[in-house]
Amino acid sequence: MKAAGAVAAAPMIVPSAVLGQRAGAVAPSDKVVIAGIGIGGRGMASVNTVLRYQDTRFVAICDVKKQRREIIKKLIDERYQNSDCMMYAYQEELLARPDIDAVIIATPEFWHAPLSVQAAHAGKDVFCEKPCSMSIQESRALADAFRRTGRIYQAGTQRRNGPNFVWAIEAARTGKLGKLQTVHANVGTYIMWPPIPSKDWLPEEPEPPKEVLDWDRWLGPCPWRPYNSFYVTGGGGWNNWYDFHGGGILEWGSHTVDLCQWAADCDETHAVEYVPKGANGAPYSVHCTYSNGIKLVMRDGNNLGKRLPDDGWLGMGSCSVRFEGDEGWVETGDGGRIAVSDNLRGDAPARLSDSLVLHNHWRDFIECIKTRSQPRANADRACNSHITCHAAFIAFELGRRLTWDPAKEEFVNDAEANRMRSRALRKPWAV
Amino acid sequence: MQNTGQENPTGKKPASSAGGRVKPEIPAEFKAELIEKLDQTALIRILAEHGSEPAAVFRKGIACKRLAVIGTKESVPSLAALLGDDRVSDYARDALELIPDPAADQALREALPKLKGLLLIGVINSIRRRRDSKALEPLGKLIYGEDAAVAGAAALALGEISGSAAAKILQGALGATAGAVRADVAGGALLCADRMMTENREGALALLDFLSRPDIPGNVRIRAMHLQVAAAASLKRPRTAPSPK
Repeated sequence: MKAAGAVAAAPMIVPSAVLGQRAGAVAPSDKVVIAGIGIGGRGMASVNTVLRYQDTRFVAICDVKKQRREIIKKLIDERYQNSDCMMYAYQEELLARPDIDAVIIATPEFWHAPLSVQAAHAGKDVFCEKPCSMSIQESRALADAFRRTGRIYQAGTQRRNGPNFVWAIEAARTGKLGKLQTVHANVGTYIMWPPIPSKDWLPEEPEPPKEVLDWDRWLGPCPWRPYNSFYVTGGGGWNNWYDFHGGGILEWGSHTVDLCQWAADCDETHAVEYVPKGANGAPYSVHCTYSNGIKLVMRDGNNLGKRLPDDGWLGMGSCSVRFEGDEGWVETGDGGRIAVSDNLRGDAPARLSDSLVLHNHWRDFIECIKTRSQPRANADRACNSHITCHAAFIAFELGRRLTWDPAKEEFVNDAEANRMRSRALRKPWAV
Repeated sequence: MQNTGQENPTGKKPASSAGGRVKPEIPAEFKAELIEKLDQTALIRILAEHGSEPAAVFRKGIACKRLAVIGTKESVPSLAALLGDDRVSDYARDALELIPDPAADQALREALPKLKGLLLIGVINSIRRRRDSKALEPLGKLIYGEDAAVAGAAALALGEISGSAAAKILQGALGATAGAVRADVAGGALLCADRMMTENREGALALLDFLSRPDIPGNVRIRAMHLQVAAAASLKRPRTAPSPK
């Protein structure tokens, strides 16, 4: 969208489509220019979505892994039939380009908040995968930075634009369930993602050459530890290590707690009470309460597909949510199925396809970049839902009931818990 | 990290694998559990151990993580002694940032003249996190040092600490710096005004007015004007949940 300082070479002969004169074509000045940072398996879904649009242009990739840089460049250059996609090992060079409007951040999550803030300060809008932060302090710093800089932020919590989830939330917010009483959030199954990650280290292996994989930059804001190739394995080798991963609650809670906060009209706040149940490495739950009295139940997804005797939660695919009022209930999850109480059967679709959920989420972001308005998963909402998840994590790690003051953003009368609200970032990184 | 209904319906993929690889065994010297159970005295003893090999870094790192939660001023000298150790300093900073005692502030301030480069930036960032108003003067001097990265970190730390005194230092630096450092000073000043808004609204508005001048870097100038408008409209984020419908 910025005319000045474009890096890509201008063509000698300008086709009419480039000037926007052909029906449906978008002039370069109207295109949102996008770059990617840390594009792995998940980030690829976003890149492939962006590549389908006429009003976006993907121009550069930044990755500490040479192989990943080259894979993405090949994909982009084949799509555009040129060799223009630039590769960078370090984000500073990419963020310094004035022609880039927005970045996709799809690194491991410990980089998400520092990179997002760095990008905002460089004048970029940001689409960042979840989880968006590693601590309560990072969550607040993220939201403050985007408010202060005026940049647009969309968290990769695409279910906020999923038709089935939106239908269920609307049912909760418009009184179809009666007075809303309890919202349920499916959080990460303890088998895949125990709520408390390990503080252990893997054995040291020789570091690869810096140009192949820059281990120091991969670690980024995390404290030093020796290299082990397992950490950098695609598919989540960094998961379940305390310095790299926020644990099971944050893993899916960043999606489902986020949806519950919307349903409970609590997008602007956090739960005020947290009661952990269960143990690390076993089925677990955290029972929370908002200041409006609505209960939030976070429970691991190990019972997916099974009817639970204790509360009747069906478990409808990954990232399922259930909203219960005094007159009815609704439940949905990935895959798009919607289950409702008998009194709502006539109103509710049995299923709403979620096949376009990422497309919907990206179009929301692109339109907000153009109009400078706030997308559904903006930084404030992401901050608030992440704070609820981090507070639940702290309650679980301490193994005790905690009370939270959303205005002061501190635990009430619990100094130990309050000291767990932040983590130091390795030099020179900061948020 | 999208998870679809078909991707993992039963949650059988264990935490001990990734990308088809099985997680390697954890060596005995890299297991945290025993260290985490120690009391402060024993943890402080670990900080004094010799050695810079990974096993020594691990022991000190886990000790620092625990002291971040339970440490008192008793552990501050031992933590401060690690601020010059490239691999351990960030663990020590983690604890020092969270110990609720002025001794931690003092230790961080005293480290400023002893360190350079990245180690110094780390300490500046920790002072920033603690918003130590007694560090204004040394931070202000660092803005005029030879290392631009240090100067930028100091400017942002001053902004985070905020207050009238920090604002004055940053305003002065805007007239005496250039290039990347001046851009960081402007960013620090914007941060300072933002932080001041709840504690000293008039001071914040005056600083925003100063930052709206034509010679201020464009991105900061525009945001300063926006924040002035937002302040005038008394926009305030509600923090309590509405009653359920």
